[in-house]
Amino acid sequence: QSTIKWRMQTYAGPALAAHVIDPAIAMFNKIAGDRMQIELFYADQLVPTGELFRAMQKGTIDAVQSDDDSMASPTDVTVFGGYFPFASRYSLDVPVLFNQYGLNEIWDEEYSAVGIKHVSAGSWDPCHFATKDPINSLADLKGKRVFTFPTAGRFLSQFGVVPVTLPWEDIEVAVQTGELDGVAWSGITEDYTVGWADVTDYFLTNNISGAWAGSFFTNLDRWNELPEDLQTLFRVCCDQSHYYRQWWYWGGEASLRVNGDKMKLTTIPDEEWAQVEEAAVKFWDEIAAESPTKAKVVEIFRKYNSDMQKAGRPYRYG
Amino acid sequence: MSQEYIAIFMFASMMLMLFTGQRVFGAIGAVGAIAALSLWGVGGQDIPFSAAMKLMKWYPLLTLPMFIFMGYVLSESRLADDLYRMFHVWMGPVNGGLAIGTIGLMVLVSAMNGLSVAGMAIGATIALPELLRRGYDKIMVTGVIQAGSSLGILVPPSVVLVLYAMIARQPVGQLWLAGVLPGLMMATLFVVYIWLRCKFQPHLGPAMEDAHEVSRAEKLRLLGAGVLPLAIFAAMMVPFVNGWTSLVESSAIGALTALFASVAKRRMTWHIFETCTKQTLLISCMFMWIILAALGFGAVFDGLGAVKAIDNLFTDQLGLNPWVILILMQLSFIIMGTFLDDTAMLVIVAPLYVPLVKVLGFDLIWYGVLYTITTQIAYMTPPFGYNLFLMRAMAPPEIGLGDIYRSIVPFVLIMGVALAIIMIFPQIALWLPNYVYGK
Amino acid sequence: MTAFMTGYVHVIDAVNYRIGRVMMWGLFVMMGILLWSSISKTFFLPSLWTLEMAQFAMVTYYIMGGPYSLQMGSNVRMDLFYHTWNDRKKAWFDAFTIFFLLIYLGVLIWGGVGSTAYSLGYWGDAPFSYFWGLITGAEEIGRLERSSTAWRPYAWPIKSIMVLGFFLMLLQAISELFKDIARIRGNEIGVTRT
Ligand code: NA
Ligand code: NA
Repeated sequence: QSTIKWRMQTYAGPALAAHVIDPAIAMFNKIAGDRMQIELFYADQLVPTGELFRAMQKGTIDAVQSDDDSMASPTDVTVFGGYFPFASRYSLDVPVLFNQYGLNEIWDEEYSAVGIKHVSAGSWDPCHFATKDPINSLADLKGKRVFTFPTAGRFLSQFGVVPVTLPWEDIEVAVQTGELDGVAWSGITEDYTVGWADVTDYFLTNNISGAWAGSFFTNLDRWNELPEDLQTLFRVCCDQSHYYRQWWYWGGEASLRVNGDKMKLTTIPDEEWAQVEEAAVKFWDEIAAESPTKAKVVEIFRKYNSDMQKAGRPYRYG
Repeated sequence: MSQEYIAIFMFASMMLMLFTGQRVFGAIGAVGAIAALSLWGVGGQDIPFSAAMKLMKWYPLLTLPMFIFMGYVLSESRLADDLYRMFHVWMGPVNGGLAIGTIGLMVLVSAMNGLSVAGMAIGATIALPELLRRGYDKIMVTGVIQAGSSLGILVPPSVVLVLYAMIARQPVGQLWLAGVLPGLMMATLFVVYIWLRCKFQPHLGPAMEDAHEVSRAEKLRLLGAGVLPLAIFAAMMVPFVNGWTSLVESSAIGALTALFASVAKRRMTWHIFETCTKQTLLISCMFMWIILAALGFGAVFDGLGAVKAIDNLFTDQLGLNPWVILILMQLSFIIMGTFLDDTAMLVIVAPLYVPLVKVLGFDLIWYGVLYTITTQIAYMTPPFGYNLFLMRAMAPPEIGLGDIYRSIVPFVLIMGVALAIIMIFPQIALWLPNYVYGK
Repeated sequence: MTAFMTGYVHVIDAVNYRIGRVMMWGLFVMMGILLWSSISKTFFLPSLWTLEMAQFAMVTYYIMGGPYSLQMGSNVRMDLFYHTWNDRKKAWFDAFTIFFLLIYLGVLIWGGVGSTAYSLGYWGDAPFSYFWGLITGAEEIGRLERSSTAWRPYAWPIKSIMVLGFFLMLLQAISELFKDIARIRGNEIGVTRT
């Protein structure tokens, strides 16, 4: 019996992948041994990120690690992948939303319809600004050319931010060559890990989302061809990757804010930041009006956040 | 097929196809496409097109047509004539002085364009006939022009460094600055060689006897010609290094500045303008189609595991000291570069070598300079080299192919020496970018 | 056959020549976009569209200009042996090896048609019959692919341009083949253009 071989491409470049995906794939390959091997490729390595979804749907690539938004999935839930503004505050919110509030079922239905297996969603890091100039008020955001997620960019453009999309691996250089003024893509852990902290000077402690949602996907036919135990192993390794992120980001964010020496912290006062939170409420309504599925997901976010509010501390303070 | 065999098979087929003389992009693209169809499995046919989508996102590649246009404007409108006269008048009375002046001319031309084409054209049309008329040795001057013009890709701006920057994901600004001192050092080495050679063999470069006829005032006026290239260089580099404009915007500004300069000096006619525009399209297409094909080839090569096989060969199997690996890589690159297309080499080989260089712990900015010098050598080593082709096309009939091949020998040796010096003293490349960009 | 080949060469070369002569001015379109980008960044709010628009212009420039460059013979060859051959021998070799170029262009078109069909909302494996279905009315346009940027341009226009360019390149390569066949038979077809 010959070895099953998969090609998998991640959204991350090698530096970040060393944390968020390499260990999980190494683990999978070690356990599966001669039965199956996954070859991992990094950001834009085989196909550009914009073509990633189609390549997986077609079977050119067997599996993908990405958020729905960056790889432009042709589904109704795409806007909720990556950073949907203010949908989640803590990293544990995401798995709860998927496992206990019904997002798994919606995602499964949406992706099965387009020939893709949605394996599992995990919670990744919060969305902060890292910029060359300090951001102390909303006015400072005006005219800043910032690398960010499509949906986050759409939301932020009302504050004068100019969202720019470039290949992930080119961001550090683009900040240096003047194409970008900063990034709104990650927490401080990622800024330090991938080198963005070397080219920006300021970190804004306010975030527009406490945790982004990213997933593992595979081509549906390839998935169905796998024996059940290898399917299970794949799931376990994906979950291991999600778990790694949980502690790596949670601890890393705090530690680098306190001990990091490459970026100065700035904060927009709560009263002013409230404008952004209010804008998000309106943005949710706009998105909900676009389709019944989107309305359903937004309703789940509302329900979840109101439950958390009612539960009180430590779920929500004030 | 094992990954090692795939690597060998793809490389060997590519070489074979290239030897048939089919267009380089067709040869490389076809090998990639056929390997994708036969070895990839489901969906392999999409890879060559997705390479086109990848190329679209290579935003800095927009600098390519801009620099090509700039080079054509400089050479076609004969903007460099005054510059040449400046060197001619000031350097003529020395043995070998005109050849030394030609190197100086090439350095200035290099600062105004990103490829070696313009330097070649200017050298072959302005300098070469004059040097031959003055009794300079044809083999030496042919070498001078080829070597001098190859500085075009090391002295900023440089298209090769832009390509390298995209592959290695390193900042172009720092790479460009890293090329400045090595470029000047190499030019100095060329000058020292010419001076010594002509000191001992004056018949190779006889001193000009009628130089005193030019008045002192005229001599000083001609010095002003040196201001123009500096102004064009500054119009492009100052806003860029200061972060006012981005890289690609600066390249457009540079191209327009050159155009305005030629109009202001009344050297631009509609015919020249049209020729420059047309040639820019043709040369850009040549480069872009090769890059397109090479990107597709590279993705297939990578996806079939051939890249891993090469990594293993260098790191696990050979288990050598990093410096030995680095030198082996440079040697293999020079060998492949002698008979492969240089642009294709860059796009296919750099993705293999750059990650390895990083793993070995070397600085990627510094390596970019080594890489560019190696490419310069590849540009002028037979049988395949753009500078050789251009020289063959532009040289007057009394210069034969044999002369062209023989002419590059001393200069390639000097470049080898420069490569060694920069390997031993990385600060020659790294001091300037660290000084300018250091936090 | 000869009449057909001659006619083909004349028509295709004329069409691609004219397209190339228009494309060459695309250089100034790119310059204009880049200049507007720096001006708007310096004096107003940076524009959302300049980066992608410049990318589209660059792709159109070199892909649609490709057939003209092929016609002008500006694509380099590894000519270690090639340049020592006479025109007839060159034509013989080219007449065979050009099939590799045709294969490459064919695969580019195959992938491009699939990708363009996807950009019009077709997710199946038979893109060519999808386009046929669009003509006969058996298929319809579905979810349009958009670029995942804030500007969100539709993907189908640029993908269609790319496929068209590759197709014209294929036609030009066939024209070159016909010229080589004629050369082998001892005559030349085609008018000399510059
Ligand atoms: Na240069
Ligand atoms: Na060479």
